[in-house]
Amino acid sequence: MSWEMVAGLETHVELSTKTKIFCQCTTEFGGDPNTHCCPVCIGLPGTLPKLNKAVVEYAVKAGLATNCKIRNISKMDRKNYVYPDLPKAYQISQYDKPLCENGFITLSSGKNINITRIHIEEDAGKLIHERGDTYIDYNRGGVPLIEIVSEPDIRSIDEAVEYIEKLRLIMKYIGVSDVKMQEGSLRCDVNISIRKHGEEKFGTRAEIKNMNSLNFIAKAMEFEFNRQVDILENGGCVEQETRRYNAEQNITESMRGKEDADDYRYFRDPDLVTISISDDEIKNIKNSLPELPGEKLKRFTEEFALPMDDAELLTKYKKIAEYFESSCKNVTNKKLVSNYILGQIFRRLSTDTEKEEFLIKVSPEQLNELVLLTENKKLSSNMARNVLEQMLDTGKGVMSFISESDMEGIDESDLRAICEKAVTNNQKAAEEYKSGKEKAIGSIIGFIMKETKGKADAAKATEIVKQLIIKS
Amino acid sequence: MSKITYIGKLLRDKEISCTELTEKYIKSIEAENKKLNAYVNITAETAMKTAKNVDEKISRGEILLPLEGIPMTLKDNISTKNIETTCCSNILKGYVPIYDATVWDILKNQNAVLLGKANMDEFAMGSSCETSCFGGALNPYSTNHVAGGSSGGAAAAVGGNIAVYGLGSDTGGSVRQPASFCGLVGLKPTYGTVSRYGLIAYASSLDQIGPITTSVEDAAIVYDAISLYDKNDATSQGSKTKTTHTLKNSIKGMKIGIAKEYFEGIRDDVRESVESAVKVYESLGAEVVSISIPQLKHALPVYYILACAEASSNLGRYDGIRYGYKTPSYNDINDMICKTRSEGFGKEVKRRIMLGTYVLSAGYYDAYYKKAQQLRGALVNAFKDAFKKCDVIVSPTVPMTAFELNFTQKDPIETYMTDILTVPVNIAGLPAVSVPCGFDNKGLPIGMQIIGNSFDDAKILNAAYQYEQAVKNHTFKELETGVRL
Amino acid sequence: MVTRDDIIKIAKLAKLSVEDDEIEALTHDMAEIIGFADTISSAVQDGFEGFDDINNITNAFHEDVVQESFDRELILKNRDGGEQGCFMVKKRSGRI
Repeated sequence: MSWEMVAGLETHVELSTKTKIFCQCTTEFGGDPNTHCCPVCIGLPGTLPKLNKAVVEYAVKAGLATNCKIRNISKMDRKNYVYPDLPKAYQISQYDKPLCENGFITLSSGKNINITRIHIEEDAGKLIHERGDTYIDYNRGGVPLIEIVSEPDIRSIDEAVEYIEKLRLIMKYIGVSDVKMQEGSLRCDVNISIRKHGEEKFGTRAEIKNMNSLNFIAKAMEFEFNRQVDILENGGCVEQETRRYNAEQNITESMRGKEDADDYRYFRDPDLVTISISDDEIKNIKNSLPELPGEKLKRFTEEFALPMDDAELLTKYKKIAEYFESSCKNVTNKKLVSNYILGQIFRRLSTDTEKEEFLIKVSPEQLNELVLLTENKKLSSNMARNVLEQMLDTGKGVMSFISESDMEGIDESDLRAICEKAVTNNQKAAEEYKSGKEKAIGSIIGFIMKETKGKADAAKATEIVKQLIIKS
Repeated sequence: MSKITYIGKLLRDKEISCTELTEKYIKSIEAENKKLNAYVNITAETAMKTAKNVDEKISRGEILLPLEGIPMTLKDNISTKNIETTCCSNILKGYVPIYDATVWDILKNQNAVLLGKANMDEFAMGSSCETSCFGGALNPYSTNHVAGGSSGGAAAAVGGNIAVYGLGSDTGGSVRQPASFCGLVGLKPTYGTVSRYGLIAYASSLDQIGPITTSVEDAAIVYDAISLYDKNDATSQGSKTKTTHTLKNSIKGMKIGIAKEYFEGIRDDVRESVESAVKVYESLGAEVVSISIPQLKHALPVYYILACAEASSNLGRYDGIRYGYKTPSYNDINDMICKTRSEGFGKEVKRRIMLGTYVLSAGYYDAYYKKAQQLRGALVNAFKDAFKKCDVIVSPTVPMTAFELNFTQKDPIETYMTDILTVPVNIAGLPAVSVPCGFDNKGLPIGMQIIGNSFDDAKILNAAYQYEQAVKNHTFKELETGVRL
Repeated sequence: MVTRDDIIKIAKLAKLSVEDDEIEALTHDMAEIIGFADTISSAVQDGFEGFDDINNITNAFHEDVVQESFDRELILKNRDGGEQGCFMVKKRSGRI
């Protein structure tokens, strides 16, 4: 019988509030070391924290967007542990009364991954080790985080990756985080164990800490799964322990065992007061949420009649989805818009980051104008393609590249005359086509396009040319 | 006339310049401090600079605020920008804050003349000031006795007339007990009325800054100046009314609650002094009501569990990395942190960190910390019920008078026991004031504690003032040391 | 009952290094203090809601508006900064 993976994820998402969670220093990424600091966030004796209002709002948004129940009464707790990146020797977090509980995220298979809780807490500073010496930069110390804890509902690497991607997309859509994994604004701990298929009982789990790339997460899970299978198949026992992923060797390695587990001595932070959110406030935040990616996907496929593949690609990036919708104004055939975006525009955006940022010169209004002209048959699709390329190069509108006459179209008899001329001038190609070389027709059509400056309807022209050759 | 009012009048009437006044205090400190060890850091230069500003203001004919130009001291756990702040611990020696505590910010803006930082028990953990790394402050009434703790330095300075008033902090009696030992008025305000921002934390849910003064009126003046809402302290609310306005109100019909639990195990002379004070209240038209608060019997262990738990967390940050003492030799970072802490903290502080860590640790949390929180809730409710029957509760402040030197070094539990009367109000967040109410046969002062309901700071000061005025001549005494004006 | 092992465990959590010769005395002191704290264990308060907020106020928030941070010089004032403007702890130090 084969082995089944059982995994749960703890995902840390840095919130994109302007200020830190307990002081008003900026949360901006980077900056020279220790320049985004004040007495509060370096924990000077006597300083006191004050909770950022926006952090609560953002966390509630995140909770609502992942179908969580929001607690009306919540509080902050201290998690005590001494480490150089933690200037107060405790992290202010939430222990037994997290802001959000009992949510879920639905995977494309229809399966729900349940979310146990989402709580707010502060990030730690950054340690840089050089020749064994430790340098500490507290710029990131006190940046607000939410920790999203899933149930152990994940059964495969694909599910884990999809769950994280879905989570990322939701956070991006609701604007609570820029979720840049490379900058560490989304990081995951993976709890993983294995059991025989069909078994109810969970195996002993290992926790792999702090990974900030989907690729590493997938690799770490694969390695860890195989490691545990090897152990159990050789009659051993998996130890409950904390491990880290070593990317250079593509292995997971032990950080500390169960017996060294920290005793965090959680207790309520007496410096901070009760957080109280009324049902009305929760309702208002809920109403302020934008359409979520899942809902958008549904609307794109059902109302816009887009194929699922198109809809998925378009909703994968918030900016692109918004761009798409703005470009669709008064357009009947939304697929036309989708084609331009997923075709010509996407060719210019090779990386994920480029798609994410979606910095293109053509505005949705400009694309909309172009699409309307094609849809109304004022422009041939061929011509539209050429024009779009130029628009993408220059950022200028459709009208900069076409004249009134371009939009007049070519009537059937004129087109027939040009086609005849094209066949006459390309006898060799016509012969080849006749003898079965289908592709040869291309150069004849090319001639027509050149003659008509692209105005000709390529499909129609092809049809006429084929008739002419066969008749000849 | 109260001392602050009197000195303010001298300045306004140009009987003395602020510079002369300040010089007198500094000169006196130089002489007296050798004896009292009240100050651990004398800030003569800053004081003289402020005095000059005040004099200029007077010469321009500007109106002075109540505390302007008045020489004073701050307990050394109140953060002062550019002035070393040590909590009288080796672990913070050399630490120079880069920001001001809110109380000091307020007073500095009023040109309060800071004479220096006052001695205290290390991190405010102690009842005699003897856990200070600078050695304890001595009692101005008798240098064979301690000034009390933890705000012993402030009490010794004010009692010895080398400061007009002092700010201390009171976590379990640390303002009231030394005030009681040194024949002074010590106010522990309602939790949340005075900002804690910049007060180096011992136990955050119990700590509260309060004044130590020679009269009730002075305590009210200082309290009114510092009890402002502070946006930097999430638990801050400020006071709702000015306490100076109601000091002179009659207390006819005021109900004075006497809880028998507060009089058990009290030294006879102390009990008798407070009992005769209660008679004074009756003569002033107040009504005495017998009450009972059985929950008080748990207050002391509850206090030590909660205070130490919070302290163990608050004191985790002293790791040698960002400020303060750092051990000279170590193997690795963890070793550096452990050695720094072991060498930097004194014995009592380490004991409380250990206890606090223990009661929060896995397996013990429910038996100690959780239970203590439940009992805390019970005590809060018990006080609420008690204040349905009376306006204020009167008790002794300490079961005895000032300890002889080294008394507290013998047995920690015996020492902890002496806090039994002061800790309940910290647990419940209530205001309480200690006023002198007599002397023992050695001539050491005895203190009476007046406890009020939450935000009834004005009411307890009114009650204290009325008593003080009624008995002034035989319970209040100004010592012939320090500055004579 | 407080044992020697408890003391070692607690000291490790509290980041205090306890020398062997101190453990005995510390165990004794702690046992006494814990014994004293134990007097509350008989106080039956079950069913009493865990009390944890002394001043009963809610929602004291700061607005999400940036204020200028402190100069790094001040932030590092109480510790010599490393070359890169960081707090720095050398790998090891002193006679060891």
